[in-house]
Amino acid sequence: MKNKNVLFLNALLVLAVMFAFTATANAGGKVYKLGMSLAITGPTSDAGNPYAKGTEDYFKFVNETKMLGDDTIDCTIRDDQYKTDITKRNFEEYLDDGIVMYLNYSTGSTLGLKRDFEEEKIAVLPASYHAGNLDDSNYIFLPVASYSEQLVALSEYVVKNHKGEGKAKVAMFIHPSAFGRGPVDDAKKAVAAGLNMEIVEVVEHGKDLDNSAMLKRLMSKDVQYVLSHTVQSPVATMLKDSARLGLTAGSYGEAGKLTFLGVHYTGGNDLIALAGDACKGYVWTCSFNLTSEKNEGTTKQLALAKKYGRDDKAANSHNYAAGIMVAQVATEAIKRAKDAGLEINKENLYKTLNGMNGKNSYSPYTTIGPVTYSETDRAGVDALQIYSVQDGAFKKVGEPIQSEYMTKIK
Amino acid sequence: MSANKWLATGNFFTTYKQEQRTFLTNLDQSFFTLFLVLLFGWPLLFELSNKSMLVIDNILIAIVAVMGLNLVTGFAGLISIGHAAFVGIGAYTVASFCRTIGDSHIIITHFWPLLIIFSGFMGAIFGAIVGLPALRLKHLYLAIATLSFQMIFQWVINFMSFFNQGQTIFVGRVFWFTGKVGRKDHYVFWYFVILTVVVILGFGIRNLLKTRYGRSLIAVRDNDRAADAMGMNPGLTKVYAFALSGFFAGVAGALHAYLYRGVGFESFTLHESIGYLAMAIVGGLGTLNGCFWGPVAIKFLDLQVESLAELAGQYLPSSMNLATALKPFTFGLVIVLFLMFEPRGIANWWRIAKSYTKKWPFRY
Repeated sequence: MKNKNVLFLNALLVLAVMFAFTATANAGGKVYKLGMSLAITGPTSDAGNPYAKGTEDYFKFVNETKMLGDDTIDCTIRDDQYKTDITKRNFEEYLDDGIVMYLNYSTGSTLGLKRDFEEEKIAVLPASYHAGNLDDSNYIFLPVASYSEQLVALSEYVVKNHKGEGKAKVAMFIHPSAFGRGPVDDAKKAVAAGLNMEIVEVVEHGKDLDNSAMLKRLMSKDVQYVLSHTVQSPVATMLKDSARLGLTAGSYGEAGKLTFLGVHYTGGNDLIALAGDACKGYVWTCSFNLTSEKNEGTTKQLALAKKYGRDDKAANSHNYAAGIMVAQVATEAIKRAKDAGLEINKENLYKTLNGMNGKNSYSPYTTIGPVTYSETDRAGVDALQIYSVQDGAFKKVGEPIQSEYMTKIK
Repeated sequence: MSANKWLATGNFFTTYKQEQRTFLTNLDQSFFTLFLVLLFGWPLLFELSNKSMLVIDNILIAIVAVMGLNLVTGFAGLISIGHAAFVGIGAYTVASFCRTIGDSHIIITHFWPLLIIFSGFMGAIFGAIVGLPALRLKHLYLAIATLSFQMIFQWVINFMSFFNQGQTIFVGRVFWFTGKVGRKDHYVFWYFVILTVVVILGFGIRNLLKTRYGRSLIAVRDNDRAADAMGMNPGLTKVYAFALSGFFAGVAGALHAYLYRGVGFESFTLHESIGYLAMAIVGGLGTLNGCFWGPVAIKFLDLQVESLAELAGQYLPSSMNLATALKPFTFGLVIVLFLMFEPRGIANWWRIAKSYTKKWPFRY
């Protein structure tokens, strides 16, 4: 009899615990569904992996700290292996699930699904900052300045800080795809619009393990600056070869040597890990705060990573920061729509994002400037920070900049 | 043939015509008809999600492509490792029209069946051109020739601005008798279209194999000199095998373009070619039903491994990228296991199962 009572009490206890869990999980609150598709495996997964972790952690944090009251965000994150076909499948699945906002990743899939985003009238935050995403598109919101803007701003930086006589002679080292080529056209337009720089050669890299011939060719053409727009590993190979051949400038713009610069996906801690000492002096532009330059934002980023047990590599990655940032923007849009008494749906979130400007701009702790969107401006953070590798870490160089020529060539 | 038209047991042929029948017994015919009715009927009864329909449509397109590959590699014995490029020819034929006349032009949106057939013919033309080296080359050397076509295709698409340097070229929504096929019906609509294509082309192969043209494919595969001595033209046979294969691939490519409403370079890479070859091997080279089994098996395996890799990606250290390795590892392992233990593919399991039921009720 006693055993039966104990059994009965245990069963009651289990039921009570189960009830308590389900009750606390979402006590009368609404669940807002979001979807994210990105490369957790396959090409560029070295960037996609921390990016996914950043997004996942921030949404967990939002739900746990009740940032939206009793309401919660349910963001499903799926691997697309950097393939547009799989991204499309994931996107269809999310639509079936009734998502209110979509977070995408690659340039190819963002361009490929542009029509679907228009038809579905759903706001999209991609990890691709390709300017072409904004052509004939109303629903894609770039988190930060486009690659074109970054490359043109970097070109302007080269011109302003050029050491030596005459025009700055520049070579572009780019990814052999539309992702790599797109910004080069804009840099050429900037030159045509009066930017005092000569683009001597545009090199589309392959899967070369040695860049000696290319570097010597650039030297023979008196190239002084190499601007990269690709991913980290080919840049690391080039930097190592240049260092081995003694071609790397000891200081910025040293005459007769090569100074290397690059935009968003060419830099970060992974580049330092791959290139080691060879990346000393490498100049990089990015719109995110880096943990090598401590501030309130990076402290929060590291605390978030620690809270959810992320390793140092992920915690210090700018891709982790970028993942957090898109989650922050999505959360902020939901929060603002909710505060305005609007129903949380695709249409209202789109409107809310478009109203994120002026005094309503949003400053996430992960970026160096505020996020501003409007009907005519769909690039979030316009400011760019120049960083340079010093003592094995990226350090700030001056104040954030913005491209002047982009407005001229648009 | 015996009086009993329902069972195979005890049947024998008295004329060549009887042997050439598509269905040996009425039971076969009935089962097949029922199967077809079910295939065409189930989407009207059960509503699947868009994602699931996309997966099914994708498998059906792969079946069309693998039918083509099986013609050239399975039946004619000419190895082709550039099949995705032929599929790409079909897709980029549609894309070229879109670039030239606009993706919402009436030819794209209303005359799409003609455009799909035209894409097939473009595939056939390229197939015949690539098949020309087959007059001189065999085995590994021919494989390299088809590989070079794959490389040329990739280079051209990736660098020519007309093809948008490999980035997506959009394809407009099509119209049917009921009007514009909207987002809601898109995948179900294309399911019916692609399934119809699969059935027509499947019967096409089945009938081809009963003609002298089909038999000459097999004869050239088994021994081209003997085939020559028997009065066949091995050179012509090889070229038309490639052309026919190109036609199937071209149709598959056009269907892919319409299904995804866009054409992007990454769907037609060497990796995809290897994938088609794997489907043909796993399904069963030189068999018609292998063309169905292979894509179904590989695509489902892909889906399962994807989920597993995704799960593993969250726990395994990203620096080692072990999760990324999971898919190619499983893919390679399956091919090796099939080559070692079941070189005749899943089609052989089907043959065994069928031969068992064929003797029913007199097994001995």
